[in-house]
Amino acid sequence: MDIIKVKNLHKSFGEVEVLSDINLSFEARTVTSIIGPSGSGKSTLLRCLNQLENATKGSILFDGTDITTNNADLNKVRSKIGMVFQSFNLFDNLTVIENCIIGQEKVLHRKKDEASEIASDFLKQVGMFSFRDRKVTTLSGGQKQRVAIARTLSMNPDVILFDEPTSSLDPEMVNDVLDVMRNIISNNYTIIVVTHEMEFAKDVSDRVIFMEDGHIINDGKPSEIWNKNSSDRLKKFLNI
Amino acid sequence: MFTLSGSIPKDFIGGILYIIKENYPLYIEGVKYTLMISIAGTFLGLFLALLITVFRIQESDARDSLGTKVYKRISVILSASYVEFFRGTPMMVQAAIFFYGLAMIGFRIPILIAGIIIVTLNTAAYLTEVLRAGINSIDKGQMEAARSIGLTRSQSYMYIIFPQAIKNMVPAIGNELVVNIKDTAVLSVIGVSELFYMGKSIAGTYYRYTETFVIVALIYLVLVLITTRILTLIVKLMNVPSKRSLPSSQTIPLEV
Repeated sequence: MDIIKVKNLHKSFGEVEVLSDINLSFEARTVTSIIGPSGSGKSTLLRCLNQLENATKGSILFDGTDITTNNADLNKVRSKIGMVFQSFNLFDNLTVIENCIIGQEKVLHRKKDEASEIASDFLKQVGMFSFRDRKVTTLSGGQKQRVAIARTLSMNPDVILFDEPTSSLDPEMVNDVLDVMRNIISNNYTIIVVTHEMEFAKDVSDRVIFMEDGHIINDGKPSEIWNKNSSDRLKKFLNI
Repeated sequence: MFTLSGSIPKDFIGGILYIIKENYPLYIEGVKYTLMISIAGTFLGLFLALLITVFRIQESDARDSLGTKVYKRISVILSASYVEFFRGTPMMVQAAIFFYGLAMIGFRIPILIAGIIIVTLNTAAYLTEVLRAGINSIDKGQMEAARSIGLTRSQSYMYIIFPQAIKNMVPAIGNELVVNIKDTAVLSVIGVSELFYMGKSIAGTYYRYTETFVIVALIYLVLVLITTRILTLIVKLMNVPSKRSLPSSQTIPLEV
């Protein structure tokens, strides 16, 4: 079953067209990596999926409902589509566990005790439980990203979008975060990752999409992408 | 009145000491009013500023209906006009218009209340701008993260953005309090018996203006110095958690 369907999606910032006529479907409980050079529109595409960016034209269906229309209940949709950002974006005024509780309380209307228990479970899963009462500003980049992942998981989303989750990290922290992500992938979420970590993409994805200049150039299984018959452009990008 | 001025020493220092000795209850009364008005005005002004800021920061969204767009536009125009008016005219003139204007249409309110209202309205205008700048300085990612977990715009402001913006603005609020302590002097125009007004009436009693106002100036100076010290302490205490963080580098590779 397709959980997200993108139809004729266009996105322009002023005169510049960043996405042109994108058509895509994402099957539930699969892992998709979106790769491509900087400025190819990968992140914009991802940000359109939870409507952090409005589409200029076209429609995006989540569970069969068009979320680009004015009467779509965006807040409800967003609570089901989690996002992990390149720059973590943890709430600086809250502690680690409060970061994982606030959405559960205010959006999902869970009781504080229940929310706290769920948050604790996910913090344990990402190895950040012992930091639960720390101010997030005192954490390292890798720790922040692991908390951000726990924050997203605490909302029990159907879909998780990762927007270059390791691009702001020190090299040694990258693997910590990738390990946490691998761990999640075995849990049957629908996952869409924009990444520059090619090994990771090749290793964990069911499907890889290569984008350039706002277009989808290649779309297939990792074995079809990392293939000696791939186009010269793709081989050059993948360095194979 | 004439007999009193006969007994006052002719020299400067002697005059000052004499005036203090004879009139300290009046000065204390003045200080009481000055502090009451400036402290109450600053805090009430802060609350009013929070309210006005809510209207000031309305941004229309591509998804808004026409009605919402019009409402947001009007909110911004009205709140911006408020800020411009109060920042663009002297508080002394505002006080006169407010007090005599109300009297003209038949409202008599206690002078102390009038003074507090004027300072509140003024402070709100300045702090609205400070708060707006504070909100703009907060990383856009905070709002994006808040919206991405499903919080509404108002919830995001209430739980995530405002708490951070207000913390950043504590020094500016303190600064506003210090300014208010000094600027309440202009309220003497409507007859609020704050420190400067008391000074004027004491000076009139002895015809010794310099001595009286030197004392007034020293009292203002002491009030401001004490307030500044207390505020510095508060700011320091509030910053403690962030000072605990260890210096570390964040590697953000440039994309090529």
